[in-house]
Amino acid sequence: MRNLLTIARKEATVISRDRVALLIMLAMPLALIFILGSALGSIGEGDSLSIDVAIVNEDVGETGKLFVDGLTSSKELAALFNIDVSNDAAAVRADVEKGNLTAALIIPSNLTEKITAGEPIGLEVIQDPGSKIAGGIWVSVVKAGTANASAQIIAGKVLTEELAAAAGAGAGGPRARGPGASAGPMLTPPQLPPMTFDAVAVREIEAKVDARISMISYYAAGMTGMFLLFGSMFGAFSFVQERREQTLARMLSTPASRLAIVGGKAIGVLMIGVGQFTVLFLGTRLLFGVDWGQSVAATLMIGFAEALAAAGLAMTLAALGKTERSIGGIAPAAIMLFAATGGSMVPTEQLPKFLLPVQVISPVYWTVNGFLDVMRGATVADVLPNIAAILAIGAALFAFGVWRLRFE
Amino acid sequence: MASIVEVTDLVKRFGDFTAVDGVSFSIEEGEIFGLLGPNGAGKTTTISTISCLLAPDGGDVTVGGHSVRSDVTAVKRELGVVPQEIALYPTLSAGENLAFWGRMYGLSGAALKKAVDDALLLAGLEDRSKERVEKYSGGMKRRINIAAGILHTPRVLLMDEPTVGIDPQSRNHILETVKELNGKGMTVLYTSHYMEEVEFLCDRIAIMDHGKIIAMGTLNELRAVVGGMDVVDVKVESVSDLVLEQVRAIPGVKQATRTEDALQVLTPGSGSVLGKLVATLESEGSHVTSIAVTEPNLESVFLHLTGKSLRD
Ligand SMILES: Nc1ncnc2c1ncn2[C@@H]1O[C@H](COP(=O)(O)OP(=O)(O)O)[C@@H](O)[C@H]1O
Ligand SMILES: [Mg+2]
Repeated sequence: MRNLLTIARKEATVISRDRVALLIMLAMPLALIFILGSALGSIGEGDSLSIDVAIVNEDVGETGKLFVDGLTSSKELAALFNIDVSNDAAAVRADVEKGNLTAALIIPSNLTEKITAGEPIGLEVIQDPGSKIAGGIWVSVVKAGTANASAQIIAGKVLTEELAAAAGAGAGGPRARGPGASAGPMLTPPQLPPMTFDAVAVREIEAKVDARISMISYYAAGMTGMFLLFGSMFGAFSFVQERREQTLARMLSTPASRLAIVGGKAIGVLMIGVGQFTVLFLGTRLLFGVDWGQSVAATLMIGFAEALAAAGLAMTLAALGKTERSIGGIAPAAIMLFAATGGSMVPTEQLPKFLLPVQVISPVYWTVNGFLDVMRGATVADVLPNIAAILAIGAALFAFGVWRLRFE
Repeated sequence: MASIVEVTDLVKRFGDFTAVDGVSFSIEEGEIFGLLGPNGAGKTTTISTISCLLAPDGGDVTVGGHSVRSDVTAVKRELGVVPQEIALYPTLSAGENLAFWGRMYGLSGAALKKAVDDALLLAGLEDRSKERVEKYSGGMKRRINIAAGILHTPRVLLMDEPTVGIDPQSRNHILETVKELNGKGMTVLYTSHYMEEVEFLCDRIAIMDHGKIIAMGTLNELRAVVGGMDVVDVKVESVSDLVLEQVRAIPGVKQATRTEDALQVLTPGSGSVLGKLVATLESEGSHVTSIAVTEPNLESVFLHLTGKSLRD
């Protein structure tokens, strides 16, 4: 046991003194998180001026059209929103869920009827809860517009009725100006129904991961999940080096057991992984403001599990590769494959189903999705299956490696 | 004196190739035992079976009464090993390397610190202990390589060609170190293909070739193998196969071998041979530049027994 810890400490020291290892394990992921997280923009909170929204007008009467005209003709609103007018409510709802739209307004078929009857209206405003600020602006615009429009419409209705009564002329004149235009007949209506903010039913849609999580956070999870495995490559390098330079033989000539040697080296890789994870976790928080979610414990447990899997992978790599050259070829290829199928680059939901067999054996898959779940609000209990899967894969890799490892 | 290492009919094969072929010797407690032989003789393989890195295919080895076949850990505890390669971590400092190997033998705390300091002193590198080993010269690395094997003051120290590829000064330092360690009571098994080192250090010597021990004894006992013979060293410009044949045919010449620019002849009486030797060489166009008659050494013993030179 003492030998095991001695070897683990030595191993971690040797790897941490390798500049290339530090570059690949720390600098590379941070750089990639920054580049990918910023180049693809962000769908996160508190950002840009062009908020994608849609309006669907299902109103069979005239009032819905007034709403639409009012919202689309305003220059101020155009500066803030990218408004798409659509007929397909189902498609719009789906787009909000996917994060393609930040929010939407769906005008019910009975709007005119309700307003005319003076009943509370039920506008449906849906928003991506991951973009609360942007969505919130839309909600308040709709509310304000509703109040304004209601006033206008009712005023118009009263006026129309009065005019009709007085001159028998057709309705429509003042209405044609629309609710967005402020100039209109300024007759105060005799009574205003309670046409205010509460009238708008805001339904929050449970949007999916990629919609809720900013790009920078997404890639913090993705790249951390990928690069945590790279410790295995340097662990395997170290094994090959020790075999070649005879320090392994020298260790074998000491009273230390083979188990202590293999275990010590694996724990050394684990220690490196834990250090790497700590740097990436804190680094992405402090440098990029990444929000890893409420449950720090869950995130740390996932990271620790993957560092263990990296230690297991180190043994498999050391068993498969005889030289640094071959390991330097196998390791990045295997890690990239795990990472690409595991969601480091593209959300796994968007990958074809036939990749599933690779995904379930990819520690990156369970790690990245676990991180993302925690960012979305998952707790330790929620990600236990992920942790179990990562540990199982790590154990299998370790067992295979130890079985095939050659010491000479 | 009791023997502390017993090697009995040791056989080690690599596939079809028999690298160690029925080797037996024993090392007395407190002596320096030399294993001399050319490259490929099987010295490292023998040492590796003693240190339990290789399992024997035949025969047995015991160290302090513990067999490598049944009691590996006990054997390892008795031994200190200085491998032929520089088995150190280049990015760790000398001090860190020594501390690591000391811990691997169970040292810790104050005992470890003292062992490391002593070993550094022995290596003459106490003031450079914080430097990374990769910055060291070949000789310095060799010295730390040895120091790493003696931290735990083993009863038996196995040293496999510890002076390969270093400058004469470092070599002398190492040879003195071996004497010093032996003076403190450490038993040493020293392998080399340099006969001068073995002659200088060893109480008893085994000469090894092609996996077999071909002669064993003290230096004087081994010299007696070539009896009262003289060694004639002739420096010549070139020696053809034909000339070599003719030299071997001269009456009184027991053995003759050539290296690049020299011919070595073993003869019971140099006086009767010298004239004919020079005449034969000159008549065939091999120009003699110098000639010397010397006492036999281990080189001549090896030559006598194998018909070839140690350095080939
Ligand atoms: N692991 C091995 N596999 C195959 N052949 C080996 C191995 N180790 C040594 N040999 C062969 O065994 C012979 C003896 O090697 P070695 O013990 O290293 O000799 P020495 O140390 O005297 O130079 C050599 O011919 C060498 O090529
Ligand atoms: Mg050798």
